[in-house]
Amino acid sequence: MIGEPIVFWVLTVVLVGSALAVVLSKNLFHAVLWLALALTGTAGVFLLLEAEFLAAVQLLLYAGGVVTIVVFAIVVTERLVGERITQTNRRITGAALVAFTVLALIVSTVVRQPLASARPAVEGDLTRAIGEGVLTRYVLPFELLALLMVAALLGAIYFARPDE
Amino acid sequence: MSLQAYLTLAAAVFCIGLFGVMTRRNTIGILLGIELMLNAVNINLVAFARFGGDVTGLIFTVFTICITVSEAALGLAIVILLFRVRRTVTADHLDLLRG
Amino acid sequence: MMTDPGLLALVALLLPALSFLVLAVAAPLRRLGRPAAWFSILCAGGSLAAAVQAWAAGGDDVSRLLWAWLPAGGGTLASVGVLADADSTLMLTLVALVAFLVQLYSVGYLSDEPPPGLGRYYTYQSLFAFSMMALVLAPNFVQLFIAWELVGLCSYLLIGFWYQKPEAARAATKAFWITKAGDVGLLIGIVLLWRQSGTFDFFELRLLAEGGALPLAGLSLITFCIYLGAVGKSAQFPLHVWLPDAMEGPTPVSALIHAATMVTAGVYLLTRTEWLFALTPEVLAVVAWIGAFTALLAAVLACVQDDIKRVLAYSTVSQLGYMMTAIGAGLAAAGFFHLLTHGLFKALLFLGAGAVIHAVHSNDLSHMGGLARRMPHTAIVFLVGTLSLAGIPFFGGFLSKEEILGAVWAGGFVGPFLLLMVVALLTAFYMFRVVFLAFFGEPATAHITATVGAAHAGHPHDPPASMRVPLWILAAMSLGVGISSTMAGQMLQFGPAEREGPAWLMPSAVGVALAGILLAWLTYQRRTIDASSLAAAFGPIRRAALARFWIDDIFEGGYRVGLLGFSRAVGWVDRYLVDGVLNALSAWTLTAGDDVRGMQTGRAQDYVYGVAVGLLVLLLWVQWVLA
Repeated sequence: MIGEPIVFWVLTVVLVGSALAVVLSKNLFHAVLWLALALTGTAGVFLLLEAEFLAAVQLLLYAGGVVTIVVFAIVVTERLVGERITQTNRRITGAALVAFTVLALIVSTVVRQPLASARPAVEGDLTRAIGEGVLTRYVLPFELLALLMVAALLGAIYFARPDE
Repeated sequence: MSLQAYLTLAAAVFCIGLFGVMTRRNTIGILLGIELMLNAVNINLVAFARFGGDVTGLIFTVFTICITVSEAALGLAIVILLFRVRRTVTADHLDLLRG
Repeated sequence: MMTDPGLLALVALLLPALSFLVLAVAAPLRRLGRPAAWFSILCAGGSLAAAVQAWAAGGDDVSRLLWAWLPAGGGTLASVGVLADADSTLMLTLVALVAFLVQLYSVGYLSDEPPPGLGRYYTYQSLFAFSMMALVLAPNFVQLFIAWELVGLCSYLLIGFWYQKPEAARAATKAFWITKAGDVGLLIGIVLLWRQSGTFDFFELRLLAEGGALPLAGLSLITFCIYLGAVGKSAQFPLHVWLPDAMEGPTPVSALIHAATMVTAGVYLLTRTEWLFALTPEVLAVVAWIGAFTALLAAVLACVQDDIKRVLAYSTVSQLGYMMTAIGAGLAAAGFFHLLTHGLFKALLFLGAGAVIHAVHSNDLSHMGGLARRMPHTAIVFLVGTLSLAGIPFFGGFLSKEEILGAVWAGGFVGPFLLLMVVALLTAFYMFRVVFLAFFGEPATAHITATVGAAHAGHPHDPPASMRVPLWILAAMSLGVGISSTMAGQMLQFGPAEREGPAWLMPSAVGVALAGILLAWLTYQRRTIDASSLAAAFGPIRRAALARFWIDDIFEGGYRVGLLGFSRAVGWVDRYLVDGVLNALSAWTLTAGDDVRGMQTGRAQDYVYGVAVGLLVLLLWVQWVLA
């Protein structure tokens, strides 16, 4: 696929740029919107990796669900605080130094490893393979996951209940 | 593109998220940073699965996404509760564990 | 029927142990008092029966029952068990007899005691009986030492039985510490002996000693150390100071422990290891001289005491000196014989004194007088005991005293012999002083009415049957032993014929005793000799004796200067050096803690920062490893 490097680099720029915007934007609401962009970019990366089902899940759950929840949270807290929430950063230099050094070290490690330079072609339907895996070999974690989500749901309702 | 390229991209997103977690004063901002870091992990999982020719990584990505959503929902609920009790969403003010 | 003396002795040993265990564990029974007492007496009676059987069955046989106890290096380092031979079964019988009679007597003597106290008393008594029998029957030094310490413990517990009384508590502590001083010597001696011979067992040691296989180098030190244990236990100079104070305990306890049995354990030990001491004649000479000196010292002290129990206590010290002298002179059998007769008549004297104290409610001789008419039973048995102690023919102590004097003379110890003759005179004098002051003369009614008052409105009277019966049994046995031994006379051979005393010995010894009695009679009964002018004639000695020859003061001074001074020095080091270092360390720790607590800000992000830095370090380390 000849277009892959181009798409990859475009996605890289979008992803890194929006991620930086998420952590640096003063306006919290903007930060959430930038996060939505970053999550969409991630979905693009999944598409590039020919994992269409995951890209769809990513878009639906993250870009749809999480962003919506966060927006709700911001709106609720802003209403409670009674003023627009701005946010600032602290310890920027130290954190940037640490984060950048960690990145440099990870990259230098990764680059030196003899890893596959090309991926094998997709055999059959990946979505089908995922569905079969989830319902056969990984059925137990899958069911536990359902339990976890119910617990999270109940917990969230309990925490966010109105004052008596 | 090679596997290294995808891993490097994931590492970059991860470190940006880490930076956000370390620096943000607002608790919601911290949560956003955590979401970024988890996303980087997902990219890693999918890239390894695809380059290794193994579907397991993809299945676990599904799991991770679900868990992340739960975590986000719970985290935001905690933030709201915290705000009700302490009247603040600034992480610096939450220092009951101070020595 | 069991006829093995070893088994019978084991039964005699274990019955008091059973009694002790039952009374110690079954607290409700113990608190009932009298039932506990009768249970203990029952066990003591059974023990006595078994002991008598063992003695009768034994003869000259030696029966050893051993159980391996301390395994070491494939062999057995020490065993426990019984060694029943002629000496030990005889001693066992004496212990069982006196223990039984004293327990019986105590029911009456301690009738005013509250039930829990009575139960406690009998628990201690049972433990003592067991420990003493274990000592007597010990087949080796280890068991002997354990039992030795156990009887010391019982002595402590029973002296301090009335622990609410400060004097009793003090006396108990004093007795414990002073005997412990000697016990250290005994322990060192036992260990040294083991290093030299490789065994604790009496039987094997005796074979070694008699076969000449025991190296003589350093043996004097060993026997001297063992003798030190006996010095503490048997109240020899200079460690005799605890015994008079031990009279703070109940009188039956004094009779059993501090007259008849425990204090004679030292003498018994030396008798048991006679063959060992025979190898070191120089230590035996020390034993003889110290014994004779102790006898004289204690006899002088006994003459000036006004407390009836203290007179008897010093008399016990004095008689123990006698026994030790005999052992030192090389005729341990004579000392052992005197131990047995002394056990009988001294228990009798103490129990008689107990009856008097029970009736008069005072220990002081000046509060007594004319008791013979009111307490005829007590007076008669006390007189029997006194005559036995004085060494009058047909009474218990006669022959054993003759044997000792003969042995000391024949052993060539002229000095100790002369000392012992003086002691014989003094013994007769001070004992009859007690007799005349307490049982004859004018009654000291003033005191009785003053202190006893309405509660005991009647006059002093003889004790109840439970106290009278033991007195008569002991009196009868003292007389029986005296008469049979006097009649048998020379037929009883307690050693080689050449060690018998010369012909003039017996008349002169009896004469000396009679002279003592006469002197006491003239002074305290006829008042021909004024007691105060007699005292004036011996002024300096009397003053010294009243001050107990300052021995207690020397101990106390040594304690004050030496031990307390050392304690203060150690205390200073502890308070300022040791504590100082510790305080500095703890202060430093506190400061350091204060300094680093700032790291714990409580803000989650700071911790995340820390985690990130940790990740960084980890990655750097990975890089370094890969490089």
